[in-house]
Amino acid sequence: MSKISTLCGKQCLSFTLLLRIVMIISIILAYWRQDWVWVIGTIFGLFISFLPSILKRDATFTLPWILDLLLALVTILHVCGRLLDYYYTIPGYQLVTRFFISLLVAFIGLAMIYILDEHWDGLQMDKSAMAFLTVLFTMAMGVFLEFIKYLNITGTYYTKTNQVLMLNLSADTVAGICIAILGVSLIKSGRLDTMTDEFGNQIDKLVIDRFEKKTPKKKRGK
Amino acid sequence: MKKTELHMWGVIVSYALNAVMLGLLIFSIWRGQFVWIFGSALALTVSLIPAILKRNYQITLPLILDVLITLALLLHVGGGLLGGYDLPHYDTLTHFVSSFLVAFIAFVIIYILDEYWDGLIMDDYAMAFVVVLATVAMGVVWELSEWSVDMIFGTVEQWGYDDTVKDLFVDMLAGIVMAVLGVLMIKRGSFDELTEDLGEQLDKQLIQKQHGGPSNE
Repeated sequence: MSKISTLCGKQCLSFTLLLRIVMIISIILAYWRQDWVWVIGTIFGLFISFLPSILKRDATFTLPWILDLLLALVTILHVCGRLLDYYYTIPGYQLVTRFFISLLVAFIGLAMIYILDEHWDGLQMDKSAMAFLTVLFTMAMGVFLEFIKYLNITGTYYTKTNQVLMLNLSADTVAGICIAILGVSLIKSGRLDTMTDEFGNQIDKLVIDRFEKKTPKKKRGK
Repeated sequence: MKKTELHMWGVIVSYALNAVMLGLLIFSIWRGQFVWIFGSALALTVSLIPAILKRNYQITLPLILDVLITLALLLHVGGGLLGGYDLPHYDTLTHFVSSFLVAFIAFVIIYILDEYWDGLIMDDYAMAFVVVLATVAMGVVWELSEWSVDMIFGTVEQWGYDDTVKDLFVDMLAGIVMAVLGVLMIKRGSFDELTEDLGEQLDKQLIQKQHGGPSNE
C-alpha cells in the first residue's frame, strides 16, 4: 500500500511539474502575443498551482488532481487556440475551451464553498444547497467574464455577437451543473473532503482564523 | 413615520397600482388590442396572487414584495400598451425593477432558510454575495429563455449583443443595490420584521412537514 501511495505521489508531483512548465511556456507565449488577459490568467493559475506549497512550505504538497488537470487542459487548449489559430479555423473550438474554463471555475467555486462550509462559522450548507450555489457561481462568473470582453480593457479581439454570448453562457450553465452533480457525488463519497482537507486546514489557519478573530461571532437563533 | 402608518401607505400604494392595472385592462379592451388584453388580464391575475395566497393558504407575503410584483408588471404592460418602450431608457428601467424584484425574492428566501432551516447557516455578507450571484444567474436564465423563444418562434425578444450585455449589467446592479439594502436592513432588524410572518408560515407549512417536526428555533 505504501508503495502505491509513493508511486502515486511521484506521478502527481510529475504531473504538477508538467503543469507548471506548460504554464510558464504559456505566460511567455501570451506575452509575445500581447494577450494580457491570458498573461494575468496564467499567472493567477500558476499562483493557484503553487499556493499549497507556499502555504505549507512543502514542495510535495499539491492541489487536488482534478484542479491540476483542468488548469493544464485549459492552458493547453487556449495556447493552441491562440498560437495555432484554432479559435478561428476549427468550428466550435472556442465553445469547447469556454466549457473547460467554466468547469475549472465551477470546481474552484465548489472547493471554496466546501472549504468555507467546513472551516468557517459563517457558512454551513446542505449538500444540495452547495451544488445549487456552485451553479449560480459559475453562471455569474461567466457573465463577469463577458463584461471584461465587452469593455475590451485588454485590447484583445473577441467575437462579439449575441449568438456567441448566448452559447458561452449556455456552456457556463452546463459546466456548472456538471460540477454540481460531480460535487455532490464527491461529497457523499467523502472524496472531496480528502481532496481539500489539508488545503482547507492551511486556509483556515492563515485566513479564516484571522478573519474570525477580527469579527465577533454572530449569535444564532437556531 | 410609525410602522402602522407606513403599512397603511403600503396598502394604499398596492391598491392604487392594482387599480391602474385594471384601468389598463379596460383601456386595452377599448382599443381592441388583444395581445395587451391578454397581457394585462394575466398581469392583474398575477398581481392578485399575494391576496389569494393570504386568503386560501394563510401565506402573507411582505407588502413590499406585493408592491414590487405589481409595479414590475405594470411597467411592462403599461410600456407595451402606451408605447413606453419607445421612450429612452424605459427598457432599462423595467429591467432594473424586475431584477430588483428577483433579488428581493432571493434575499427573502435565503434569509428565511437561514433563520428556519437547519440545512443553511449563512453570514450576512455571504448572504448579500449570494443574492448578487443569484440575481445575475436568473438574468442569464431570462436571456437564455428569450434567445430560445427567438430561435423557436422567430420572434425578436433580444435586441442584439449590446442590449443583452446591458441587461446583464442592469441585473448585476439591481442585485448589488438589493444586497447593500438587505445587509443594512438585517443590521437594523427591519428585514426580520419584514419576513417574520412569511418565515413562520413557511416553517409550519413546508420546513417542519419535510423534517417531521418543529425546527430548532
